[in-house]
Amino acid sequence: MKAIKIYAVALGLLSLGACKKSFLDTEPITSVTDENFYKTPKDAFTALVGCYDGLQVVWSEGVALPVAAEVMSDNTFGGTGNSDGFGYQMIDEFDKARSPSDQNLYERNWTLYYKALYRCNMLISKMDQIQWGSDAQLRKTYESEARYLRAYLLFDMVRLWGNIPLLTAPSAENIPQSGADDVYKVIADDLKFAAENMPEVAYPAQAAANHGRVTKYAAEALLGRVFLFYTGYYAKGDLVGLVSKAEALAYLENVITKGGYGLIEDFANLWPAASQASFAGEDNKETIFAIKYTYTSDYDGNTDGNHWMVMTGIREQSFFPYGNGWGAETVNPKLWNAYLPSDTRRVGSIISIVGEKLAFTNQSKQREYTGYYAKKYSPMIGEDGKPLPEANGNTSFQIGQFQDYVSIRYADVLLMAAELGSGNAQTYFNAVRQRAYKDAFTPLMVSQDNIIRERRLEFAFEGIRYYDLLRQGIDKAAQEIAETTTVLNGGKSAEKKISAANIIATKGLQQIPYTQINLSNGTLKQNAGW
Amino acid sequence: MMGMKKNSMIKRESVFLLMFFSLLVFSESLFAQQRQISGKVTTADVLPIPGAVVKVKGKNGGTGTNNEGAFVISAQTGDILQITSIGFVAKEVTVGQSNTVNVSLAEDNQALSEVVVVGYGVQQKKLVTGATVQVKGETLQRQSTTNALQGLQGQTPGVQIASTSGQPGESIKVTIRGLGTIGNSGPLYVVDGVLTGDITYLNSSDIESIDVLKDAASAAIYGSQAANGVVLVTTRQGKRGQPGQITFDAYAGVQNVAKKVDLLNASAYAAIMSEAAINGGKQPLFTNDEIKAFGEGTNWMDQMFVDNALTQNYALGASGASEASVYSLGLSYTGQEGVVGGKSLSNYQRYSFRINSEHNFYKEIIKLGQHFTYTDIKNNGIGVGNQYNNSLRGAFNTSPFVPVYDENGNFFDNSQSTWNNGEANPYALMVYNNQNRRNSQRILGDIYMVIEPIKNLKFRTSLGMDYNAGESRSFTPIYNLSAYAYSINTKASQSMNKGKSLIWDNLLSYKFTLNNDHTFEAMVGSSAYRADGSSIFGTNTNLIFDDLDHAWLSNATGKNIAGITIGGRPDDADRRLSYFGRLNYNYKEKYLLNATFRADGSSRFASQNRWGYFPSISAGWVVTNESFMESQKGWLDFLKLRASWGQVGNQSIAAFQYLAPIQLSNTNYIFGPEEGVLTPGAYPSRISNPELKWETSEQTNIGFDANFLKGKFTLNFDWYNKTTKDWLISAPILATAGADAPFINGGNVKNTGIELALTYRNNLGGFNYSVGVNGAYNKNKVGNIPTADGIVHGLSNQLFDNALEFYRAQSGFPIGYFWGLKTAGIFQNEAEVQSYRSAGGKVIQPTAAPGDVKYVDVNGDGIIDNLDRGMIGNPNPDYTFGITLSGDYKGFDFSVVASGVAGNDIVQSYRNQSNQYGNYTTRILDRWHGEGSSNKIPRVTEDNRNWTNFSDLYIQKGDYLRISNITLGYDLGKVFKKSYLKQVRLYAAALNVYTFTKYDGMDPEIGYGSEGFASGIDVGYYPRPRTFMIGANLKF
Repeated sequence: MKAIKIYAVALGLLSLGACKKSFLDTEPITSVTDENFYKTPKDAFTALVGCYDGLQVVWSEGVALPVAAEVMSDNTFGGTGNSDGFGYQMIDEFDKARSPSDQNLYERNWTLYYKALYRCNMLISKMDQIQWGSDAQLRKTYESEARYLRAYLLFDMVRLWGNIPLLTAPSAENIPQSGADDVYKVIADDLKFAAENMPEVAYPAQAAANHGRVTKYAAEALLGRVFLFYTGYYAKGDLVGLVSKAEALAYLENVITKGGYGLIEDFANLWPAASQASFAGEDNKETIFAIKYTYTSDYDGNTDGNHWMVMTGIREQSFFPYGNGWGAETVNPKLWNAYLPSDTRRVGSIISIVGEKLAFTNQSKQREYTGYYAKKYSPMIGEDGKPLPEANGNTSFQIGQFQDYVSIRYADVLLMAAELGSGNAQTYFNAVRQRAYKDAFTPLMVSQDNIIRERRLEFAFEGIRYYDLLRQGIDKAAQEIAETTTVLNGGKSAEKKISAANIIATKGLQQIPYTQINLSNGTLKQNAGW
Repeated sequence: MMGMKKNSMIKRESVFLLMFFSLLVFSESLFAQQRQISGKVTTADVLPIPGAVVKVKGKNGGTGTNNEGAFVISAQTGDILQITSIGFVAKEVTVGQSNTVNVSLAEDNQALSEVVVVGYGVQQKKLVTGATVQVKGETLQRQSTTNALQGLQGQTPGVQIASTSGQPGESIKVTIRGLGTIGNSGPLYVVDGVLTGDITYLNSSDIESIDVLKDAASAAIYGSQAANGVVLVTTRQGKRGQPGQITFDAYAGVQNVAKKVDLLNASAYAAIMSEAAINGGKQPLFTNDEIKAFGEGTNWMDQMFVDNALTQNYALGASGASEASVYSLGLSYTGQEGVVGGKSLSNYQRYSFRINSEHNFYKEIIKLGQHFTYTDIKNNGIGVGNQYNNSLRGAFNTSPFVPVYDENGNFFDNSQSTWNNGEANPYALMVYNNQNRRNSQRILGDIYMVIEPIKNLKFRTSLGMDYNAGESRSFTPIYNLSAYAYSINTKASQSMNKGKSLIWDNLLSYKFTLNNDHTFEAMVGSSAYRADGSSIFGTNTNLIFDDLDHAWLSNATGKNIAGITIGGRPDDADRRLSYFGRLNYNYKEKYLLNATFRADGSSRFASQNRWGYFPSISAGWVVTNESFMESQKGWLDFLKLRASWGQVGNQSIAAFQYLAPIQLSNTNYIFGPEEGVLTPGAYPSRISNPELKWETSEQTNIGFDANFLKGKFTLNFDWYNKTTKDWLISAPILATAGADAPFINGGNVKNTGIELALTYRNNLGGFNYSVGVNGAYNKNKVGNIPTADGIVHGLSNQLFDNALEFYRAQSGFPIGYFWGLKTAGIFQNEAEVQSYRSAGGKVIQPTAAPGDVKYVDVNGDGIIDNLDRGMIGNPNPDYTFGITLSGDYKGFDFSVVASGVAGNDIVQSYRNQSNQYGNYTTRILDRWHGEGSSNKIPRVTEDNRNWTNFSDLYIQKGDYLRISNITLGYDLGKVFKKSYLKQVRLYAAALNVYTFTKYDGMDPEIGYGSEGFASGIDVGYYPRPRTFMIGANLKF
C-alpha cells in the first residue's frame, strides 16, 4: 500500500509539467516583434526614422553612388592606391576585363538599397493599421516622407542599374526585373503624393531640429530632377504620363516662390574644406535635401557616418585642412581647365596640388594621379593634424567622417527651372552665375547648352554631372566621357583610355552583383556588357 | 499543490523506512559465528588477479584482492563467496571447513558481458538492438589528447572526428553517419545524464566511457535533441567492493608544426611579379640582377610558428568504496601552448576538479549520489576563422619584401613602402590584434536519488545543472603597419557572461521475468529543462596604461560616445518539457525487442508547432542461442542480428526564429544641427515564419555482431539509411526581400552507408596483442529543397575578396558540394585559343591568351557562364577508417592508432585573388610560361583572371591516412615489487606522427567550414601539431 503511494508520487513527478502550461511560453526581452509594433503614431515615427537610417547606410559599404557617378562621368578618373585592385578602373572604363575578380562590386549597395526599400514598403503597408488619433495631417506627413524616401531609393537604383526588380510591398519572392517605366511610375506617384500632402512650411519657418526631414519642396525638387533625367535618357515627352513638362516646372517654381530658400553668398562657403571657419553650416538655406551623417559610426553596428568620403581624399597624405584619404576621384585636368580663372567655383571645388603649393610626395602610392583632387567632399584634419572625426572621439577617419551629402541644392532648382523653360530662366541662370563670378560676372544668354555647361561647373563632385550627360543621350554622353590621355600610375607615366564603345555597350549602366544573379537562379539578368 | 502532496508522502515514507532499517539491524545480530577466510584469486594460468571483488552473497560490502591476488573476508561455513573481476567470469564458492579458499577465474569473453550505456540507463551489450559504440576512458587517456573527443578518432566507425583548428582548446567537429543537416550538425552530449553541447571541459582521466548512439532507435529516447546522434559520457565512479586506489597520471611533451607551406622567397616573388607585368603587356618590373639581389627576404611561415611549444597534463585520481558508499575524485591540470605565435598568443590551460559519489541508505532501498565537475579554463588565441579573421592568412599573402623589424627592432611600418604599402607585417598584426585573455568556469553535475523498495522497481529523480561563467578582455595598442592596418588609439574591451541550465529528470522503471523466459523492462520518464543567462560588454578608448594587463574599462578615459560601446542583455530563455517511455523485452535472451517513444515540447517554436513526437522500434535475434546452433559453438561463439527504425528530432535554432523581431539598436538618424545627437529608429530585421517546426531524422539500421574463436575475433557490421527531413535552415535569400532570411523547414538529406569493425586479439606466450580495423562508407544526397530554385546557396566572399558562391546544397547532389567550372588544361598558343570553338563555330574564349586556362563549355552554347558550372568536388568523404594495434609483453606495452578518410575533396585558397601583389606558394613555379611548359597551372597575370572564376584549379584530393598516435610503455611495477605500488608505467608517445596524403596544404584534416554545411575549405588553417611526449601512470 505504502509502495503504491510512493509510486503515486513518482507518477505525479513524472507528469511534472502538466499543471504548468506556461512553462514553455517565453518572450523576447530586448526586441519587440512585428506582432506588437506598428500600432501607435510613436511606433510610426520610430519606423520612419528607421527608413531614414536605411537611406543613410546605403553607401556605407561597397561603392557610393556620389563617388561612382563622378568616376563614371568626365569629371574624374577612378584613381585609388597604386597597389589596390582595379575595381574603380572597371567603373571608370565600363570594362569588366579591367578587374575580373570584381563580380560583386555593388553587392552591398544592392543589398542595402533593398533593405532600405523594405523598411519604407513595410511602413507604407502598415499605414492603415496604425491608430492615428485626431491629428489628420500626421499620417499624411509620415506617409509622404516614407514615399519620398522610397522614390529617392528607386531613382538611385534605376539610374545605376537600369533594370531592377520593383517592389512596392515586402516580398521574399524571386521577382524578375521591371521595365524602367514601371519603376518611374512608382517614383512619380510617390513624389507627387509627397508634394501634394506635405504641409507648406517655408525654410525659415522650419524648426532647426527638424532639418534633414523630407519637405514638400524636397519632393517637388526631386520631381524636377526625375523628370529631366527620365525624359532625357529615355527620350520621352513626359514622365510616364504622370507629370508633364509644365507640371514639372510648376513644382520647381513653387519651390522658388514659396520655399523660402536662397543661395549662400559665397560659393566656397557651401563646402567645409573650402571655407573652414566661414562654412555656411549644414542645413543652410540652400539645402533642399541632404542625407545627414554624424561621427558616431563604429565597427559594432553603428552606421551613422559618411563612410564614402574617405575615398575621395588625397592619397595617404594630409595638408591642413585636407585630410588624407584613398585618392579615388582623381580630377581630370579638363575639368580644372573648364573653369575660368575668375570663377570662384574652381578653387571652391578642386584641390590643385601645384596651385595650393602642397608638398605632395605620394605619387608612388597613387594610381591615375593628375595633380587635382576633389575638394567639396574632402576629409578634413584640424590644425593639430588630427582628423576631425578624432576630435569627436571617433577613432577611424574611414567611417567617422560626418559631412552631410547635400543631394539637392537651391542652385539646382534654379537651373532646372531655367532648363524647363521658366519665364524667369535668364534671372535664375544669372543668379547662379553671379554668385560664381562675383565682380567678374559677365552675362551669358540662357540656353540648353549653356545650362548644361554651367551645371558641370556648379555641381562638380556632387554626383550630378554623369546623369546630366546621360540625359543628353548615350551617344553624346559616351563621346564626352571617352578619353585617351596620360596619367601617373605610381609616379610612372601611363596611358589612360576610356572607350566610348564600352559606354554605349553598357548603356551607361553598371554591373548587377553576380551573387544576386546566382541566388535568383537566372531570373535576374545581367546588364549588357557586364 | 504537487509539492504539498510530496511532503506528506515523504513523512509517511520515513516511518516505513525506519521500520526497514530496524529490521536490518536486528537481522544482522542473528548471525554471529563469523571467522576469517583468506585466499588467493588467480587466473587459469595461476597469475594473481589484483582488484577482484570478494563478497559474501546476500550481504553488503566486501573486499578486494591485493596485488598478489590475496584477500581476507569474514564469513562462516555455508556462506557463498562471490568473486568478480572485470574481464573474468564471476564465480561463486561455498565456504567449507577450511579457512583458505583459493579461486581461479576463467577469462571472460569480454565483449558479451560488457555493459554499455544507453539513454537513461545501461544495458548488457549482448542484448543491445541498436547501433552503438563504446570507447573506454583508459583508451581515451592513452591517446594523450587535450580534448577527449580527439581521442575517439580512429576508434569509432561511422563517427567522423575533425579538428576545426589546431589551436589549443578549439572545438572538434563530430559528424555521425554523414552530414544530415544544413544547420548545427553536432551531436547531443549527455554527461552523466546532463544534456550539454560541449565536453571540452573534461579531462580524459575523468572519463569512464564514451558511448556513441548512432542509429535513431538508440537515440530516439532523446527525441528532439538527437537527430545528429548522441554522445553519452560517463565520468568515473567508484565500484562496489573495490579497494581504495590513488592514481597519478602525467605527461609532458613538445609540439612542432608537422608541415609548413612553402612560399616564394623574395627573388622568386619578384620574378613572378615581373612576369605577371610582362604577361599584361607591361615592361618587366625588375631586371634579372635586381631579382637576384632580393635574395631570400622574409619567410613569413617561419615567423608565424614557434618551435617546441609545450603540452602537459597532470591528473590525480582517487576512487574506492566503503560499506555503503562509492566515490571517485579527480584533480587535473592541462596546459597546451599553440604552435602558431606561441604561448602569449595561443594558449590553453584547464584546471578541473571532480567528485562523484553514491551512498546507500536503508538496505539499498534508497541511493543518493552526485556527480560534480568544476572546470576553470584560461585561454587566448589568434584568429582562426574566415579570410578576414585568420591570422595565418596574412602570412600567405604578404610579400617577402616586407621586413619583420625596422632598424630599431620595432615591427616594420610598411606604410611608406613603394612596392605595396597596403600590406602589413602579418606577424605584427597577429601580435597587435590578439592581445586577449579569456577565462571561463563551469560546473556540471547532478544530484540524484534512486528508490527501490521492491526489487527491480526503481524510481529515479535527478536534478542536473550546467553552469558557466566567462569573462574576456582584449587590448588594442596604437600601431601603424600599413596604409590600411593602423590603430590611432588604445582600446580596451571587456565582457562577462553567465548561463545556467537546469534539468530535472524523473524515471520509473520495472524489470520482471515471466515464466523464467520472458524478461520485460519498462521505463517511463519525464524531463524538464530550462536555460537562462546574460551577458554584458563594453569597449572604450584612451587607456591610462598601454598593455593588456591594464586593459580594464576603468583604465579607459575616452569620453566621446563615438569610442564607447556598452551593452548587456539576457540570453533568450530556453524551455523544454519531455515525456518518454521504453519497453525492452527478450525471450530467453534469444529474441530481443525494444520500443521507445518520446514527446518533446520546446519554447523555440510557436505554440501550435511546439510538440514533437519521436517513436522507435528495434529487434534482435541472438542466433547462437538457438539450439540448432549448438553444434557451431566451436567456432562461432556469438551471433546477433539486429534491425531498428526510429525518428529523432533537431531543434538547434536560436529562440524566436518564428517571429519577426523589430530591430531597435544601431538604427539611428541625425536630424537637426547637433552632431552626435541621434534619434532612434526601428525596422523589422527578419521575415517571420510561424510555421517553423522540428527537423526530423528517420533512420533504419540493420546489422549484426559476431564473436568467433572464443572471443579472439569480433566483427560488427551495420547498414543504415538515414533521411533528415524538414531541415531547419536559414537559406540565403535574395536581397530584394530586404530583410534577413527566416528559418524555414526545407529539404531533406539522405545518408546511406555501412560500417564495419573487426578486432582480433590473441596471445603468443606472454605476448598479448590485438589488431582492430574499422571503416565506414557513407553516401550523402540532398533532395527537395523548397527554395524557389531548389538550391541553398553558399556564402560569397569566402575564398578571397569578392569571391562568388562556390558550394551549395542542391537536390540530387551531396551536401555542400563544390560548384564551379571544369577546366581542360591550358591554352598553349594562339591557335589553340582560336580553334577552341563550339559546335556552332563560335570561339568559346575569345579573350583568352596563351597560358590562360581552358574552361569546359559544358552546355555547348559557345560561352562560359553559370550554365557551365556544376559539381567539381565533394567535401564529404566516402570512407572513414581507423586502425588500432596494441600489444603487451612482460610489462612492456605499445599501441598505434591511425585514422583517415578517402574520397573527399578540399578547396584550397591561400591567396587573395583580388590583390595583384599577394605571395604565392611554390606550386606557382610550375606555371605555364611558354608553350609546352605546363598544362595544369595557368600563366600569372596581374588581374589573376585565371583564378577569379571558381574552377577545379582550386580542388585537391583530400584523402589521408594519419598515424595519430604511437605509444610505448613499460610498467616498472614489476621491477619495484612494492605492495603499495600497483603500477608504475612510464611511456613515450608521439602524436600526429605522420600523415600520408597527396594534399599539399599543411593539414588535410580540415574541420573548418564557413557555415554549418560547408566543409573541406582551407583558407589558411591552423595545423595540428606533431607532438613528442613522455608520461607516467602511477597506481597506488
